[in-house]
Amino acid sequence: MLEVEHLRKIYDGHGRSVEALRDLTFRVGAGELVCLVGPSGCGKTTLLKCVSGLLAPTSGRVVLEGMPVSGAPANMAVVLQEYGRSLFPWMSVSANVELPLKQKKLPRARRREMVGRALDAVGLADAGAAYPWQLSGGMQQRVAIARAIAYEPHILLMDEPFAAVDAQTRAELEDLVRRIWAGFAMTILFVTHDIDEAVYLGQRVVILSSSPTVVQEDLAVDLPAERDQLTTRAQPRFTELRGHVYEQIQKAKAAAPPSSGVS
Amino acid sequence: MSAVLRRLAATMALPALLVVAWWWTSDASTNFYLPPLRQILAAFADVWIGDRFATDVLPSLARLAAGYLIAAVVAISAGVVIGQSRVVRGIAEPGLEFLRAIPPPVLIPILILFAGIGDQMKIIVIAVGAVWPILLNTVEGVRAVDQVLIDTARSYRISGLSRLRHLTLPAAGPQIFAGLRQALSIAIILMVISEMFAAREGLGFAIIQFQRTFAIPEMWSGTILLGLLGFVLATLFRMVERRVLFWYFGQRAAARDH
Amino acid sequence: MTYPAPRAVAGTRIGFPPWAQTVTGIVLVAALFEIVPQLGLVPAAYLPPLHDVVGALAEEAGRSQFWFALYETLRGWAIGLAIAAVAAIGLGVLIGTTPFLLVATRSTIEFLRPIPSVALIPLAVLLFGADLRSKLLLIVYAAFWQVLIQVLYGVQDVDPVADDTARSYRFSRRGRIRYVVWPTALPYVMTGLRLASTVALVLAVTGELVIGAPGLGQQIALAQSGAAIPTLYALVMVTGLVGILINTLARWAERRMLSWHPSMRGEAVA
Repeated sequence: MLEVEHLRKIYDGHGRSVEALRDLTFRVGAGELVCLVGPSGCGKTTLLKCVSGLLAPTSGRVVLEGMPVSGAPANMAVVLQEYGRSLFPWMSVSANVELPLKQKKLPRARRREMVGRALDAVGLADAGAAYPWQLSGGMQQRVAIARAIAYEPHILLMDEPFAAVDAQTRAELEDLVRRIWAGFAMTILFVTHDIDEAVYLGQRVVILSSSPTVVQEDLAVDLPAERDQLTTRAQPRFTELRGHVYEQIQKAKAAAPPSSGVS
Repeated sequence: MSAVLRRLAATMALPALLVVAWWWTSDASTNFYLPPLRQILAAFADVWIGDRFATDVLPSLARLAAGYLIAAVVAISAGVVIGQSRVVRGIAEPGLEFLRAIPPPVLIPILILFAGIGDQMKIIVIAVGAVWPILLNTVEGVRAVDQVLIDTARSYRISGLSRLRHLTLPAAGPQIFAGLRQALSIAIILMVISEMFAAREGLGFAIIQFQRTFAIPEMWSGTILLGLLGFVLATLFRMVERRVLFWYFGQRAAARDH
Repeated sequence: MTYPAPRAVAGTRIGFPPWAQTVTGIVLVAALFEIVPQLGLVPAAYLPPLHDVVGALAEEAGRSQFWFALYETLRGWAIGLAIAAVAAIGLGVLIGTTPFLLVATRSTIEFLRPIPSVALIPLAVLLFGADLRSKLLLIVYAAFWQVLIQVLYGVQDVDPVADDTARSYRFSRRGRIRYVVWPTALPYVMTGLRLASTVALVLAVTGELVIGAPGLGQQIALAQSGAAIPTLYALVMVTGLVGILINTLARWAERRMLSWHPSMRGEAVA
């Protein structure tokens, strides 16, 4: 579904050039839930911007369903970390979720139906008429997720979506992601700095090195498909995997050249 | 209930006091320039409630409306275009900064050259003066749209007219309204001044006539009318702003409560 | 997500840096001003070419009348602004720190504030004729409100925690004002002064134009009635330049005064 091939990004400006991404290659197959983790400053955001077409790479390419990505591709939806700022405050929740669908030129009745379904899936069936600033942080992020789901993308990108949310809400939202992934048979690329989250959610965890970034390891997570916060996290295999990822990241941090401050 | 009454009393107390004081101190006045309030109010009723309303006040308001609307349309359109491109902004900036530094009334003699002394000139004067705050605020508002919203719109491939309508204009809304508010005061000022110059009717013209013919109570009544006009328009504006920008005020209130 | 840096400065990639943009802008305007009248698109009587205007400007600069007028304008501006500032700051702090006064004066302020200062022109003419004092009436009235409103915002923006702390240490009212209220209000005061300085110039020149008080505005009126068109444009340009100068000075003063302050008050432009 998604292939990232030798992605490289160098920032030039003010007489100084920073190599954020050196050589990133990995794939996400259809229907997979892949997590990306890495030490802070490893260019996760840059990577996501390149994959989502918002930023042009210096070299290498991103291929989505066989077509190279240049500019925002039509079959992709992105959920950002700053949920508060990604929703349009002058529109109600339903209007927000509906907006990308209007772009797709779908008839009104169909749009309403899809909005209803998406809000239902995230547990906000009654919040349609509310405005984003009337909702709590967790609810706002759900709206952003609903908006992404309603769009029926072939691939969903999530950029540290739960980093700014409290721990309890984060647990609920993580389960929500897994439910959506299973229920809508979606392909998800999930970027996070939270190692536990990456192992809990993913079928695979792609571990990134420090800047200039390369893929450090592509780890398969062989935990059972049915996961829940209580039991899965208590399993010995979980602890093993988690420890392994943690080790890798520590190694990545230790190998980092002194000046790299890109995220 | 008494809390509401107390509130009302507190708000109305000072104005009421001032009016009473004015009435009282001026009642026995023999000062030519400061006639008794009673006379002024009588003149007010005489002068403005009657044909003068139609022959002077309405044309003035009509010109004000025309000039203001033209300014708003031109300024918002230009502002959106200029605001979206850093390079265009950079090039336009010196010219705009210079033009806006010129006090608008000073342009009246120049505009008289171009547009004569009729309605057209007055409307142009109002428009030219009112354009700047709206234009500059629109440029600023468009420039400062949250990058997160822009990226979100881009990733959902929302562009062109749709983007303008759903993202750019609403996002710049609060700033645009700040400009519209300032433009309103300037427009009123220019409406009056343009009529003090070379005119045959209008609010400004009437007031200057009264002053020249030493019809003092009438002149004062004109001043009061202008004050009322300013107040009423400002209140109307605030009401419209509250409705259009309900989301902005709601958002700020929500942030404050956290 | 934190945004990646460094971001290319707009235009640098195509070799068009900001200073070049500014220069282009100036050159474009000047060229337009020079060429359009020469092309006959607009009769030269209405819009003289730039070189004529510059010539008139040079001529004006050689006449003491011009400099005197400039001095008069600036004098009125400065005195009016000073009076308005002192009155507004004093009153503003008093009203802002006395809850009763705040409530009592609100409606009066809301009513008086939108009154266009030009409504006072006839009164000014009657009382003072065509001299400095009539100008001052207009300037002080308009500038006063600009500063007062900002001072009231500032005084009300005081952090309640800081204020309570001061009270619990039994600061006198004067002490609280000096150590808590004033530093909070200062950015707002500077914003108000900046806005007022622009308004004061507008009213100064307007007063001179309409009433005939001495100053640049009066010179403009004279040029217009004498059909000295290039001179008219030259004088208008001078007022524009004075306006830019005042604005730049005000912004500089604001920055200097508040370089230590963590937050700069952002006020809508113009």
